[in-house]
Amino acid sequence: CSRAKDVTMPAKLPVSFFPPRSAVVDLFRGQLDYADQLRQGSDIVLYFFYAPWCGQSIAAREEIELVASRLSDQVLFVAVNCWWNQGKCRKQKHFFYFPVIHLYHQSFGPIEYKGPMSAVYIEKFVRRVMTPLLYISSRSKLLDFLSNYEPGVLGYFEFNASPQPPGYLTFFTSALHALKKDYLGTIRFGVITDRRVAEEISLEHSGSVYLHRHANTSLMYPKDIMNYTAENICKWALENREMLIRWLRPHGGKSLLLNNELKKGPALLIFIPYNPLAEIHPLLDEITKVALEYHKCNKSQAAEPDLQHLGDTDSPAFDSSVTDAHLKLSETFSITKYPCCNTVVLPQWHSISRTHNVCELCVNQTLGVKPDKVHVPHCNFLEIEAALDSFYLQEHTFFQVISNTIECSNFLSFYSPFSYYTACCRTVNRHFLSFISSEKTIFQTPKVAFSSHGKKDNTQFSIPHIEDRNCFIPDLNISNINITGLSCRTNKTLNLYLLDSNLFWIYAERLGASRSTHLKEFAAIVDMKEEVHYVLDQNQSLVGPTLENFIKNFSVLYSPLKRHLVDDSSVHFQEQRVITEVTTNTFQEAVFLSEKNVLLLYYAQWCGFCASLNHIFIQLARLLPPDNFTVARIDVTRNDLPWEFMTDHLPTILFFPHQRKEQSVKFPEDFPVNLPNLLKFILHHSSFSSSEPCTKECRHKESVLQQGHISHLEREIQKLRSEIHALHQAHDQLEAQLSEARREEQRLQQQKHTLEKQHKTLQLHSEQLQATYDQKNQELLEMAEKLQELADASENLLKENALLRILVASREGKLQSKDEIKEPLQSEQTPSEGNNASPSTAIATLEEKRIDNSDTIETEHSSGNRTE
Amino acid sequence: AAVLRSLGSLLCLWALRFPAGPAAAARGPDVASYRERVRAMFYHAYEHYLESAFPYDELRPLTCDGQDTWGSFSLTLIDALDTLLILGNVSEFQRVVNVLQEGVDFDIDVNASVFETNIRVVGGLLSAHLLSKKAGIEVEVGWPCSGPLLRMAEEAARKLLPAFQTPTGMPYGTVNLLHGVNPGETPVTCTAGIGTFIVEFATLSHLTGDPVFEDVARKALKALWKNRSDIGLVGNHIDVITAKWVAQDAGIGAGVDSYFEYLVKGAILLQDKELMSMFLEYNKAIKNYTKFDDWYLWVQMYKGTVSMPVFQSLEAYWPGLQSLIGDVDNAMRTFLNYYTVWKQFGGLPEFYNIPQGYTVDKREGYPLRPELIESAMYLYRATRDPTLLELGRDAVESIEKISKVDCGFATIKDLRDHRLDNRMESFFLAETIKYLYLLFDPDNFIHNDGSDFDVVITPYGECVLNAGGYIFNTEAHPIDPAALHCCRKRKEEQWEVEDLMQEFYSLKKTKKFTFKRAFDHGEGESPKDPEGASSEKAGEKRNSKKNSHSLLSCPSQSFNSKLAVLGQVFLDNT
Repeated sequence: CSRAKDVTMPAKLPVSFFPPRSAVVDLFRGQLDYADQLRQGSDIVLYFFYAPWCGQSIAAREEIELVASRLSDQVLFVAVNCWWNQGKCRKQKHFFYFPVIHLYHQSFGPIEYKGPMSAVYIEKFVRRVMTPLLYISSRSKLLDFLSNYEPGVLGYFEFNASPQPPGYLTFFTSALHALKKDYLGTIRFGVITDRRVAEEISLEHSGSVYLHRHANTSLMYPKDIMNYTAENICKWALENREMLIRWLRPHGGKSLLLNNELKKGPALLIFIPYNPLAEIHPLLDEITKVALEYHKCNKSQAAEPDLQHLGDTDSPAFDSSVTDAHLKLSETFSITKYPCCNTVVLPQWHSISRTHNVCELCVNQTLGVKPDKVHVPHCNFLEIEAALDSFYLQEHTFFQVISNTIECSNFLSFYSPFSYYTACCRTVNRHFLSFISSEKTIFQTPKVAFSSHGKKDNTQFSIPHIEDRNCFIPDLNISNINITGLSCRTNKTLNLYLLDSNLFWIYAERLGASRSTHLKEFAAIVDMKEEVHYVLDQNQSLVGPTLENFIKNFSVLYSPLKRHLVDDSSVHFQEQRVITEVTTNTFQEAVFLSEKNVLLLYYAQWCGFCASLNHIFIQLARLLPPDNFTVARIDVTRNDLPWEFMTDHLPTILFFPHQRKEQSVKFPEDFPVNLPNLLKFILHHSSFSSSEPCTKECRHKESVLQQGHISHLEREIQKLRSEIHALHQAHDQLEAQLSEARREEQRLQQQKHTLEKQHKTLQLHSEQLQATYDQKNQELLEMAEKLQELADASENLLKENALLRILVASREGKLQSKDEIKEPLQSEQTPSEGNNASPSTAIATLEEKRIDNSDTIETEHSSGNRTE
Repeated sequence: AAVLRSLGSLLCLWALRFPAGPAAAARGPDVASYRERVRAMFYHAYEHYLESAFPYDELRPLTCDGQDTWGSFSLTLIDALDTLLILGNVSEFQRVVNVLQEGVDFDIDVNASVFETNIRVVGGLLSAHLLSKKAGIEVEVGWPCSGPLLRMAEEAARKLLPAFQTPTGMPYGTVNLLHGVNPGETPVTCTAGIGTFIVEFATLSHLTGDPVFEDVARKALKALWKNRSDIGLVGNHIDVITAKWVAQDAGIGAGVDSYFEYLVKGAILLQDKELMSMFLEYNKAIKNYTKFDDWYLWVQMYKGTVSMPVFQSLEAYWPGLQSLIGDVDNAMRTFLNYYTVWKQFGGLPEFYNIPQGYTVDKREGYPLRPELIESAMYLYRATRDPTLLELGRDAVESIEKISKVDCGFATIKDLRDHRLDNRMESFFLAETIKYLYLLFDPDNFIHNDGSDFDVVITPYGECVLNAGGYIFNTEAHPIDPAALHCCRKRKEEQWEVEDLMQEFYSLKKTKKFTFKRAFDHGEGESPKDPEGASSEKAGEKRNSKKNSHSLLSCPSQSFNSKLAVLGQVFLDNT
């Protein structure tokens, strides 16, 4: 048993990790030396160091195989088990995580891949390692290279002189070096071999290196200051590159990436599905175009017109994507030719109301008298202003409209009697943007056009209760509709970031992206400092113009953007539930529009103090009269609420009395949350209009109340009945147990009796046995005595015998002496001989007797033992 | 133009689909398939235990036999009982309940650990008792206030009570189940062995009506509180007779761990501010003295100087505990630290030297402990972060690859080479498997958020039960907090509630005032309250006046928590 305790078992022997016919060489015994041998025969090698137990290695295995199947003719894929402690790999390398991917370009390496464990990304990186330099052979390729949003480094080398011009190898190595530092591969390296192409970017001498930048001036590598080494070039490029728009690719481990980026200021996060292997990225190009425009602060910059010029002249050979973007941009301009309209959001019913009356106010140009209006500027600022004024005067007529259909009406302008204005209004909930989007061909662009004029207008107009009006006053300078250089003009500069929605869609979902959408495109502005975020309406497709509008709307002084409230869409509003589950979307309806007193619990599923109160709230909800009271709750981790309804601690209990919903009261925090306290709290704060004189209505109410009371009592009675029933059952059970116990007692009593009897008989028996034992003992003693007597007697006899013998002998002696004298005395000798024989036989019989006696003693002893 | 544009985007979408779909990393582990793998792991171990080891305490997986370890009460079976129900195996649950009722006897001459017997046996029986109705067992009328399993739990707990008869109220570590404390018993007990009773014992007291259990548990907790050092820390071993600290290393791991855990869980279960304020004081000291870079080190309890810069596998429960009280950010950051250690070895070594980044000599084992997975389960509830599912995936893969043997799952003796030991601790089935399964089963009844509940009529009135919010004891046995309000306590409230309900239907003018007074203490102290209950509350209010918010609450999550997933952490602005 103790030996089994020390039984141990060595780890199982490693087995192959990749399937047998895989394109990956699987060194599952960790033969690192063999791996090094293999490397000699191949230019590009990818090492996949894994541990067989590691989940991440297992997940990455498929991806590696996928890459291997596509690149196996050019790249050698070697997988090494770096866990098995007998293997060479484990002995030589010490990894803190698995898998680790190392790449070698001939002797250069290892280059560690730290990007996403996804086949496309790995393949892209491997390809980058295979060809770290792009060969720029023509103007169009140069343009292509330069127009990319990612920073680019160009080297110019003349290949006519020697097989390899001086410095080329260093430049090549610096490209590989950059991949080590910058595993996402954002800096691209290109080499120009044609002198004429090089001149386009004013590179004249072979061996010069150039860093292209869009917003700032491009740089030449300062050979005279820094040594011309691969490390230096790489460092220089990394330090001086511009990041107009950055990819964010969290690696999954603990990281402060988002923290550091978002703390820099408000950030626009754009989620697009991205395939790094795709040849063209039209959407990405469009977005980067916006980013470039946004950051283009200095118009008089040298490099920029140059590029612009190239773009114009080279267009036929140009990559289609760029022209595509141009085309789209011009389309948006054409949009502005539609009648100028303005969205007006009327003041809400309630401060927290989720519904608005939204009106589309359009200058009806066909009715206008000014003939020159068709031309730019398309939308006369004064016209719209006048229209707004007229509209505000009549706004009360639009307040009452609560309809889901659009209702339009025409009215005359206040200022210019010749113009007509059309106002189309409807009530919408927070999805009002969808209304706009459905009509967006008309309304979209003018809506966002804006300038600082708003400030002045504020004082001019005396209708302060229309809060959003400033945003809708269009800019006089319509040509300024593009956002060129906006980043420098606004004090709310945005940092732009891209995220691959194939990998990081979860962040988009967290910010409120719809889960149902199959198109994974999303944009949000996150302002960490203000703790708000805005999202680009998902019904609008994510294209350049919408993005521009989004940015512009954010940048203006009185931003029309509404703080986005994330809502838990998985919850469905169910009336029949005991506790009503409220979400961001149903908050207004369930709390403020409800005709009942509402007790609202703010909770979170993870908070231990909330979950343990569940049963109390369920009991409360079951007790309170359902006609007058609602018990509701909201999970605040999944549902954002307007600031004024936020709470900093959970659980928080608010009570919204009927008819005084705005006077909500908070359950005092230092009171224990239990049923009586909650009832007292509700009773104390619920509104009862008992002071008023009793009218008919009041009496009706009272009767309803009493009806409720009756039903409550009935329920109570029902409950009591079942309680009584339970008590009866418990009573029965107890009774049964009692009688059982009694029976048991009786049984035990009886048992006791029988046991006692048995005991007595046993005692009797033992006494009897004792008696017989004593008796036997006595007998034995007597027997022993008798024996002793016999022995004594025999001894006496023996003594006598001996005496007799002596006597006989002496007599014989005498007789002999006499014989010598008297011969006739011889006849007397015979009877004395007979005498002599008899005692000896007596002794023999005595001996026999003794043996018999001892036998009987033994048998008596054994029987005595048995009785004991 | 719009049509053109959307056509364009359609085209580029088409281009994007080629050649490979979205990355596997983005999807996260396949929850359903991992759930089934965990289920298969359970049955592999459970069936071999029944076959080869029952009725011994534990299975020895390498030799395919059994042994008694903590007593002699078929420990693995008791411990695994509620896991059966969580996996949905009702019939086996019922069978085992019958087996235990007939087969387990606590009148045995065995020296048992007070702590282990409490958490595994008493805890296991209590949770099985509270779940037995859900498992379809025909319960007796007084349930949940009476029942055979409850009686067994009570019997086991009573066997432990002699250990608490010390001058300080802190219990001995070991007790003989038949004779009480042995004459020569050592008076040195670890801190956790003193402070890990309140959850089970308070539940017992509330269910049976006998206050003795809760009283001894509270007395022991208070004794520890009284003996904390000036800087607010506790060591890990103390003499229960003299109240002198024998081992003065302070930390959150071995020897101390469940003491802190039970302060929080006791506070939640009993809505007890006193326990929570104790914990918050400790929490402050722990943050001040032991926390470095989201690791928690060991320090000298009087001076606060670092004594051991190690991370212990047992400490991994801490993030889960933090998430229960709403400190999700810090929890996640610490969790991510611990996860890196798992990634390095495929398990958590008992000790991990943080500066050296390697295991500590003689502490390289991993007995398939649950703590990190437990934290992942709690945190997944709070954040839904796929990283946490990844830990679950890694745990399933590691345990299956490394420790699965023909007869069960063997403890890893050495994480450096994955040598196996001939043990399968009962917590593997009770905790490790349970938490793993719950991580992969977000719809399990244990995760009930209060949308479902049962109504039970007891002789004490109507009870709402199984409304979620289960408190796991430190051996992962769930206790329904609603059950504590069901038995004796319910009765006290009932008539008060009934009177209040009358108010709702009456004409409300007359009695309204009394409530006003009860709630308007802010303006002025009301001289006398008509109800005893409310004067009690007034007292409480005076005590807690300095706290702006109740101790029994969690802070709401900050704005940046929206983006704190996939390893991203944020630095506090505060």
